[in-house]
This record gives sequence, structure tokens and C-alpha cells, in this order.
Amino acid sequence: MTFSIRRFRAMVKKEWKDSIRNPQILLNAGMPILLAVLFNQKEDEPSDLTFLSIPILVAISITGAFVQANMIAEEKEKNTLRSLMLSPASKLEVLAGKSATTTLFALLVIAVCLAISGVPDVNIVYLIILSILLLLIFMALGTVIGLIARTASESSIVGLPLLLLFIFGPIFVPNLDLPALMKIIDVLPSHQFMLAITALIQDGGLSQIGGNLLNLVLWTIVSLALCFLVYGKKRFDK
Amino acid sequence: MLREGVIVMQSIIEVEGLEKLYKKKRALKNISFQVKQGEIFGFLGPSGSGKTTTVKILTSQLLYTSGRVKVLGSDPARSRHSEFLGKIGVLTDNSGTYERLSVYDNLALFCRLYGVADRRIETVLDAVNLNDDKHTLVGRLSKGMKQRVTLARTILHEPDILFLDEPTSALDPVNSGRIQQTLREMNSRGTTIFLTTHNMQEAEELCDRVAFLNHGEISALDTPQALRLQYGDRSITVTTQQGKQVVQQNDAGANLIRELIQRGDLLAIHSNEPTLGDIFVKLTGRGLE
Repeated sequence: MTFSIRRFRAMVKKEWKDSIRNPQILLNAGMPILLAVLFNQKEDEPSDLTFLSIPILVAISITGAFVQANMIAEEKEKNTLRSLMLSPASKLEVLAGKSATTTLFALLVIAVCLAISGVPDVNIVYLIILSILLLLIFMALGTVIGLIARTASESSIVGLPLLLLFIFGPIFVPNLDLPALMKIIDVLPSHQFMLAITALIQDGGLSQIGGNLLNLVLWTIVSLALCFLVYGKKRFDK
Repeated sequence: MLREGVIVMQSIIEVEGLEKLYKKKRALKNISFQVKQGEIFGFLGPSGSGKTTTVKILTSQLLYTSGRVKVLGSDPARSRHSEFLGKIGVLTDNSGTYERLSVYDNLALFCRLYGVADRRIETVLDAVNLNDDKHTLVGRLSKGMKQRVTLARTILHEPDILFLDEPTSALDPVNSGRIQQTLREMNSRGTTIFLTTHNMQEAEELCDRVAFLNHGEISALDTPQALRLQYGDRSITVTTQQGKQVVQQNDAGANLIRELIQRGDLLAIHSNEPTLGDIFVKLTGRGLE
């Protein structure tokens, strides 16, 4: 498979110009910022360190999954994905262009969220590695949602279970007495991300977050494989 | 190719014994045809006859079940993706545009994807008469103007073959005429055009040769003129003060016309050539809509 930097840059430029005029994408990007403001109102509880990772988790997951899903579903809805796939652009270039734009959005949203909630006092290298893996997972899942949904607005509905389970599950379920559900939440990358950040805040190192890191790596591999499988099958279909 | 003063046109599309099965349904049944370089070839048939399936196979969007297909000398299913798609242009009636981007930005994206200089945008916008609207957001354009934007995008890279699937459907006559004019100009510069349509008038006006596709089979293939002669009933309509009268091209008909002329009664005379639509109905027993 070929990869042209020229075509990749063209895709990024187009996606950026299009996205900053798309109210639905701006709403998706704005939601984590709003949540960061709300969580910032919460009084510090030294016993509940997981709350320190929530602004980053929400920024990565909502921006990564929903901005990506919206971009892809709209291409299908407006029949522009077909036009792209009938140009010399390969599916890797198209997907990379969208993912790069989603990453740009995510970085901006993370920066704003951290400016509001403050940067957790952790090893920055581990924080970056964990964040990149989580972003890759959510962008891959966002791509799958975008491909399954027939329209941009349907992508929000298709993605709702993901939002509830992957994002709000690790935030709220640990406080509820639901052991069966907690077993599922335990293996989710979002929960593993929160556990890893909590361990890092408590001066933990690689030995403490190794299991969480492995979980995220496995999720990255599986979600990327799923993404390419679905993309190959559904790219032309509405 | 010039050979001893004779123009020999090469086949740019070759299809032989093409079959396409969707589960158990035979969408294409052993179809064969060739399209010569520089030709406007019409692929005519009603909805569901297999036109779009054929275009998808020829443009590497769909794999075929059996037969042989060559476009620009190679099998589209096995061609190198970027190289092959860089030589063809595909326009369908539902080709989309980026509505939040300007006309110029829409075309600039595809210039970069095809590796074409941005100055080409002015040329294609002139061709589709949209230069005055190049900074307008596509979402603010009428349907006809959007279709012209997609045509401009399809011809940006000056493709060797243009595949047009119902290019003027749902357009008003003025915009249809404008697009047809652009297609004629492109064809005169050497672009081969493969046109699928159920609009017989469009086919008659544009196509050098046409094939009738019915239930996945080709029922006739020739020039529009040859088909009209082959399937016409060779009758003539004469108009006199008393009204219209159909006469056959035989001795009795000739005598009648001579008589009308001598009497000074003949007002008009027309040969009754069938339209392509009439011929399609005659051959297949069904209409084109």
C-alpha cells in the first residue's frame, strides 16, 4: 500500500477546514471542556485520586471517538467518501488524514481541559504513552462507529453505548454495588487508564502500571484490527 | 494511432463474457462489448438493468464473477489502485461535495489528491461556467450548480476515460445542456466517455454508439443512426390541408406523394424514424423509465 505525504496533507487541510465549521464536531469537542469545568467545581478529596484523571479521559474519549465517528459518518451520508475512494487517495491516507485532524482536536481539548483542571503531578512520559494508546483505541472505535452509522447524527446514537460503558462506566460504576458490571468495567481501557494515572499520582512506576499498559496495548491492537476490517468492508456503503 | 493515413481506433475498454452474480441473482449475463478510444459510448437501460453494476466493475469498485474485463489495457480488479484511478474520472448522480467548503477548496483538495497544479481549477471552472462562484460555499449552490462542481472535480485531472452514471438526472434542461456541451468539448480533446443513462434524448444527442441493456443482457449495440434504420418501419408522414397521413415507402406511396405535389396540397413531409426509446421498447417490451 502506498502512502503519499502530499495526499495526507491535503486530507488534513480539508478535514480541518471542514471540521471547524461543523457544529456537531464543535459540540463534541466542547463537551469535555464543559465537563472539566464541572469537575473543577468538585472539592478536592485526597482519597479519590481517580477524579484527577477524568478530564483527560473524557477529553480523549469523547473527542477521539465522536469527532472521528462524525467525520466518517458524514462522508458516507453526503456520498463524499465514495468520491475520495475513487481518487488516487488510498484508504490509509484518508483514514490517516482524519485521524490526524482528530488528534489535533484532541490535543487542543486536552490542553484546555488541563488548563482548567490542572496537570496531574505524574511522570509525563508515562502520561503521554498512556494518552496516545487511549486516543488510538477511541479513534479506532470512533472509525467503526462512523462506518456503522448511516448519518452523522446516527453516529451519536450508535456511539451512545460506548459513551455510557467506556466513559461513564469507570467514573460511576466503582461507587455502585454492581460486581457483575464492575468485572466488565475492569477490563475496559478507560478504567485501566484511570487506574494507571492514579498509580502514577501515588509515585508508582512501570511495575505498578505494567498491567494497565499491557491492557491498553492489547486494546489498541484489537481495536485497530477491527477498524481496518470494518473499513475494508463498509467504506462504500451507506 | 495513425497507420498509412488511416485512423485505427484502439479499444480502451474491452469486456468479454462478463457475468456478475449477487448471491443467486445474475445481475450481468455474459455481456460483451468494446469501447474505442475517443468514443462516446452510451450504455442504456432502465433502472435495475445492470448499468451501475457494469460501471462499478469497470471502475474497480466491484469484483466480477467471471469473464474478461480490460480498461486502459489492464484488469481494473488487478490494477494498481492509485495509478488506475488517476487515469479515470467517475461521476454519478449522487457524487457528493463538501458543503461547508467553497467551490475552490473542494477542487483544491482533489488537485492535491491527483497531483494537479491549482491553476487547473480556473480552467475547469470556466468549462462548467462557475468561475464567478468559486469562493461560494458549495452548500449555498443550487442542485444544478453542485452537479457542475462534481463534473469540474471529475475532469480536473484530464482523465483518459470519463465514466458518467446518469450525469444529468434531476437537472433542468438548461443545466443538462450546459453539461452536455462540456462533455462534447472534452470528447473533442480526446477523452473517451462511457455514459450510462435512461435518458434517450441525451444518448441520441451525445453518443457515437449505444448498447441497450435489459435484465443484465445486451439486446442491441450500434450507432443510433444504424439502429433507427434497422428498426424503423420506413414509413413517411405527409401533412396536407386535410391533416396528417402515414404512407409507406413503396410505389403506391410514391404515387400519392407525387399527386399531392402536383395538386399543390403537400405542406410537409417527414420520415418516421423511431427514437431510441421506441427501439428499446420494440426490442425488450419494456420502457426505459
